[in-house]
Amino acid sequence: MNPEFRRNLWLELTPRRVLLMTIVLVLTFSAAALSGGADYRPAWFAEIFYYFIVVIWGSRNAALSVVGEIRDRTWDGQRLSSLSASGMTWAKLFGSTIYNWFGGAICLVVIAASQFVHKGQFVAGLDVVYFLALGVISQAVALLASLVAVRRRQSHSRFGLFLYQVAGIVAALVVVFLWKAADPTGSFITHKPASDFVQWWGRNLDARPFFLVTLALFTGWTLVGCYREMRVELKMRNGPLVWAAFLLFMGVYVAGFDAWLAPVTATSGWDAVALRLALAASTYAGLSYAMILLEPKDRVLYRWLGGELAKGRVAGFLLGLQGWMMSYLATLVVVVALIIGLCRGGLLADTAVIASAFAFLTRDIAIFVLFQTLPGRRRGDFAAVAVLFALYLLIPAILRGLGLEEVLAFFLPRPTNPFWIGPLVVWAEAAAVTVLALGRVALGDKVAAEPA
Amino acid sequence: MIEVRDLVYEYPTKRALDGVSLAVKPQTITALVGPNGAGKTTLLRCLAALEAPYSGAVTINGLDTRESPRAIHAHLGYLPDFFGLYDELSVRRCLLYAAWSHGIAPALSNGAVEKAARRVGLVDRLETKAGELSRGLRQRLAIGQAIVHEPNVLLLDEPAAGLDPQARRDLSALLRKLREAGMTLVVSSHILAELEDYCSEMIIVEGGHVVGGKPIKVRDDERPRYLIELATARSDLRSFLTGAGIDVLEADDHHALITFTRNPGARAKLIRDIVKAGFELSSFGESSKALEDAYFSQVAGGAGGT
Repeated sequence: MNPEFRRNLWLELTPRRVLLMTIVLVLTFSAAALSGGADYRPAWFAEIFYYFIVVIWGSRNAALSVVGEIRDRTWDGQRLSSLSASGMTWAKLFGSTIYNWFGGAICLVVIAASQFVHKGQFVAGLDVVYFLALGVISQAVALLASLVAVRRRQSHSRFGLFLYQVAGIVAALVVVFLWKAADPTGSFITHKPASDFVQWWGRNLDARPFFLVTLALFTGWTLVGCYREMRVELKMRNGPLVWAAFLLFMGVYVAGFDAWLAPVTATSGWDAVALRLALAASTYAGLSYAMILLEPKDRVLYRWLGGELAKGRVAGFLLGLQGWMMSYLATLVVVVALIIGLCRGGLLADTAVIASAFAFLTRDIAIFVLFQTLPGRRRGDFAAVAVLFALYLLIPAILRGLGLEEVLAFFLPRPTNPFWIGPLVVWAEAAAVTVLALGRVALGDKVAAEPA
Repeated sequence: MIEVRDLVYEYPTKRALDGVSLAVKPQTITALVGPNGAGKTTLLRCLAALEAPYSGAVTINGLDTRESPRAIHAHLGYLPDFFGLYDELSVRRCLLYAAWSHGIAPALSNGAVEKAARRVGLVDRLETKAGELSRGLRQRLAIGQAIVHEPNVLLLDEPAAGLDPQARRDLSALLRKLREAGMTLVVSSHILAELEDYCSEMIIVEGGHVVGGKPIKVRDDERPRYLIELATARSDLRSFLTGAGIDVLEADDHHALITFTRNPGARAKLIRDIVKAGFELSSFGESSKALEDAYFSQVAGGAGGT
């Protein structure tokens, strides 16, 4: 048995705790069944308890699984163990939450039994899969959030732990919302209204199976994310291929929803390929923003990457690439393809807006890097977000108030007349901030060269 | 055994290690000393393959820490300066967990646990919870966890911090036993007195550099260190000794620290020569603070303990 899992069993599944959980749940469900009322009452309680025990409490325990070790100063010992990254990941994820899963299993038996009696074997089976996936994805997201924070060296505080737990709960809420939205009547097996279909890559697909497959895929990617973060913790190097595969998956998955973008007036005249490219580009840009915010903006790494590139060590350079860098490059590739497509269609104004939008992305990434290199960089991300808030919301609001609508294109991706003015000015902004950021990184090199 | 070449480690705002190169011989206990903030812990963490260097290379048993960190971890034990234990687990379970997580097969793990417990003197406390142990016993358990898989290399960061004199003595004895058993130990501390008992080599880290560029031999049974003291100050003490072909580590008008052969006849002759040269010799004896002497002879302006 995996030693980390066994250690968690020793600590979590003590006879006293097992007995306590069993008694509390059995008494609750018995009371619910005996107190009369609706037939679903024990199952309803079981569902509520499942959300609390597996999702809310389980997310906290999953987030604590590594952060708690760091807090208790046992993490270095675990990092030096011979456990593989995959072994450590699953042992942390399911070992730290084994008590939650024990309680969740009791709840799940009640839920499945109720569904089996009232709706049949198939619905009961689907519900079991849904609840299991819900628990896994919420806990995996919480663990992933905590591991990302560990890499940022911001992991110890109670507030931090709360945030990782919230990340898991939010993931669960999204799943619950989509599940309920796809099943407005309570069961998609018995009712299949038109709204229960999803249009994806030009096909009408049944929403619930589509949703379950999507949930399985995203759960899988979350687990892959945990595994890769664990590899980093164990000082193993991650290559760029997995992130590239994730980008490809996300591009293909999101591009399939082009039907949703077709009615948008800003994209009138665009063909399906352009719409799909736009969706993929937006996804990659979103991932660039997410990753530049989440990943440590390590000047030492940037300098090291520069050194590898200068020495022509392409393999070393690729091994050191961060997620935001690859997402940004993917955005660049897709944006270029989109611009070429739109130019061929004669949509020059739209092309200019897209070029501006990409310039804004470039500028914003440079802002994040720049603020991380300034004094007081521990709050660099907050400062960068504040600056972006001012640039995207406050200044445009003031400009609108002053009636300077034509200047708005320098702060938001908007068409200009002539069409090339907007991109020209925004790219000048982006270039200036990028030069400043690179200068600060290079300046850091000189500072670091002086031993403390 | 351990080789470090041009190691550079950077934090975002400072270079913690700047071109460190050193070699640690097998089956030695090497003291890693230096003031607080000198880079000792960073160096140890780089040796433990817990931190990747910015440039340069660290090899343990011929394996590069950047290329094969997990293989190195399998043959290495590390005790950080601030360590934690699983307080709710018994000593036996703590050691069993450490054994299993280092890949010791379940069939062999009980034997490994017994051996580690015996080495650290915890055989009679195997069923005691870790949280109920005293500070000294917790330290022993932590070392037991670090050695349960019989590593070749054991890295200890400030292992004696907070220990009472008896526990420190026990620790010294334990470290000597581990070296005799074939382990190579690197022990970081800024309390020189505690290292005196068991270290054979010393690496002084200061400002991210290794002072003197290499480990210093602290204990040389063939040529120990002798302290010469004069009753009356003489400014030519150093020049006299150097002229006589003596290896002077440090000297002032009243004292000189030298390395010299253990041969009694040669020592008697040296004493005669000193007296014959008109020096008022008040004391001539083997230095009991070899490590401290070596440290201050290397560190410029090294007044005050570190």
